[in-house]
Amino acid sequence: MNKLKIASSAVVCVESKLKGTVSVGSMTVIHPKASVIAEAGPIIIGENNIIEEQVVIMHRLKDGEEWDESRVLKIGSNNVFEVGCVVNASAIGDHNVIEAKSYVGEGIEITNGCIIGAGCQLTVPEKLQDNSVFSGSSCSLSIAPDRPPAQTLQLEFLSKVLPNYHHLKKVKKPEQVN
Amino acid sequence: MAYLTQPNYVKYACSCGLLKPITKMYFCRHCLKLRCGYCVCHEVDSHYCSNCLENLPSAEARLKKYRCANCYDCPHCFHTLSIRATSVTRNSEDGSKTASKLYYLACFFCRWTSRDVGIPDQASATGRWPERENENSETIASLIEYFKVLALKERIDKEKIFHTPRRNFSHFSKLGMTAALVRKRSGLPSLPLGRDADLTSLPTIVPSVASETVEPLPAEMFTTAPDLTKVTTLSQRFSQPDIQPELTSEMWPIHKHLFIKRSQRCRECEHNVYKPEYNPISIRFKIQLAAFYHIPEITLLSIGELKAGVPSEIVVRLCNPTQHLTSVDFRPLPSAMEEDLLWERQVQLCEERERKDSQRTSLTPGSLNTSLGSSLTLPASLTRQLTLYEPPRRVRLDVSSSVQLPSCGIVLPPRDDAAEYDDSAEKHNFQDDPEVVVWRKSNKAAVKFSITPDKTLASNEEVKCGFVLGYGYVNTMAALEGHKEPQRVELQVKVLLSLGTVVSDE
Ligand SMILES: [Zn+2]
Ligand SMILES: [Zn+2]
Ligand SMILES: [Zn+2]
Ligand SMILES: [Zn+2]
Repeated sequence: MNKLKIASSAVVCVESKLKGTVSVGSMTVIHPKASVIAEAGPIIIGENNIIEEQVVIMHRLKDGEEWDESRVLKIGSNNVFEVGCVVNASAIGDHNVIEAKSYVGEGIEITNGCIIGAGCQLTVPEKLQDNSVFSGSSCSLSIAPDRPPAQTLQLEFLSKVLPNYHHLKKVKKPEQVN
Repeated sequence: MAYLTQPNYVKYACSCGLLKPITKMYFCRHCLKLRCGYCVCHEVDSHYCSNCLENLPSAEARLKKYRCANCYDCPHCFHTLSIRATSVTRNSEDGSKTASKLYYLACFFCRWTSRDVGIPDQASATGRWPERENENSETIASLIEYFKVLALKERIDKEKIFHTPRRNFSHFSKLGMTAALVRKRSGLPSLPLGRDADLTSLPTIVPSVASETVEPLPAEMFTTAPDLTKVTTLSQRFSQPDIQPELTSEMWPIHKHLFIKRSQRCRECEHNVYKPEYNPISIRFKIQLAAFYHIPEITLLSIGELKAGVPSEIVVRLCNPTQHLTSVDFRPLPSAMEEDLLWERQVQLCEERERKDSQRTSLTPGSLNTSLGSSLTLPASLTRQLTLYEPPRRVRLDVSSSVQLPSCGIVLPPRDDAAEYDDSAEKHNFQDDPEVVVWRKSNKAAVKFSITPDKTLASNEEVKCGFVLGYGYVNTMAALEGHKEPQRVELQVKVLLSLGTVVSDE
């Protein structure tokens, strides 16, 4: 049941914690001490994502539920998960920024171009509007006209630098991990 | 620096009667009194922008409405806006591509950008951003002009009535200040002077007209659900009083407010107790007479169990921050009756001195106060001959316990920064009573005494105790002013300790 699939160009540090069936798309960077935990079903991470230190991405099992291969948490492309954020969202689109120490509760569907500001706590299950920006201690919401720019330079830098100082998880084919 | 984060357990009574922690007080070295933010005169030294650190003279700052011309705040979250660059390639006429940079303002906190509201990108980073014209600016300007002239007219009329016989001896001229100088110092715009100005005709203003008809609400108001992400909040509207945007699409970058550097002056002797350097980049002070550099600091070390009516032991640490040996002693707080007597005597003394002074200068401080307004402070050089005597205030210390204070005084050696690193610390030969002094180390000593919370205290009620701390202070100012040797004076300050709450007997 613990199938790990990592694209060859992805950078996944060994100190990260990937539990359950997780698939990591190409050019995605997962820092040490980040956790991606697939309890309820597989997690499929798209391309060009940055998952920083101490990030927790959970596909949480609810009471009375069991592992369901078809219940997939899909994370799109070009997302940035900043240090220490906790994401229990039910779906994540593209070009989102989940800023440091923020919290996204269960049942929230993050669409595209959303920014969850540093320290913002979202707990009400809802589908966010595209380009929603939450900021400040009161989580004030505004709608940006554009989505945030992709972190191309940062991605390039990280995928160059991280392998110099960390061992990487390399899985060519889907394999059984204990 | 634990006291920066702790609640204020130890409070000192300021000469104005307020209780404050030592870190919030000043010590005037000239009149040897404690001063706090409420009993000093605050003066604006300089205006500066906290973002670009530009220093503006006060006249220019006033002209710019106390806002920075180059820095902006986010209209959405009020964080400082930053300038961001994007590179664009333009197709020139001959077909070649040229890369150029365009700049826009962006908030790094809430991600608002000047593009959100359609402000065009600028070709230069330092250039002025487009300003929005205030449609009411003309009306406001004409109103200001009108009231300026009206105010001048009224004042001259008033002077004619009251001061015509001795106009040359007005209070201002006696202090060596002209009316214009007084206006300038109090931050008012200067006026065309006196009798030359044409005062017979006031500028015409167009009064506002109230109208009966009110525009009806648009139909969408009733048919569509409001989109709260497009409507501004009240604080966003108030931050731009000239426009008061109702929709987020009308928000405009806000010019950053200027900050001030201020100096604080003792109200009684007009000496500075606190003066920063003018340069906004500098965080140093020319004068900083903070109380914790001058009077012994008290810190609570340990408190025994607090039970109503049961004696309990507390240990406080005393620290001498000065370069001189000092001795401290403890006295009980005066009773209410004693305090009343003391207060009355001081008030009498104060009045007497005032009377003597006023005979000498035939000008009472009272009239100075009323004529110039208490907000106005005079430069010390102009008023040196004139001292304001403040009537002393009674201090309210609500104590809820009795204290058995040590009967003997304690000598505290001067501060020695090097002693901190000296392990072979010199043994002081102080004849300490071991019942009083628990330990001592360089300029600090821990002192033990016992308190008894009042019998009437219920559980969870706060226990407070107070005493008068007497301390020796070496006045080096006297020597500086060329009098004689540094003078040693005995000073007193009332101290209130908050010890926590009573525990119940169970
Ligand atoms: Zn005060
Ligand atoms: Zn500025
Ligand atoms: Zn902002
Ligand atoms: Zn003074």
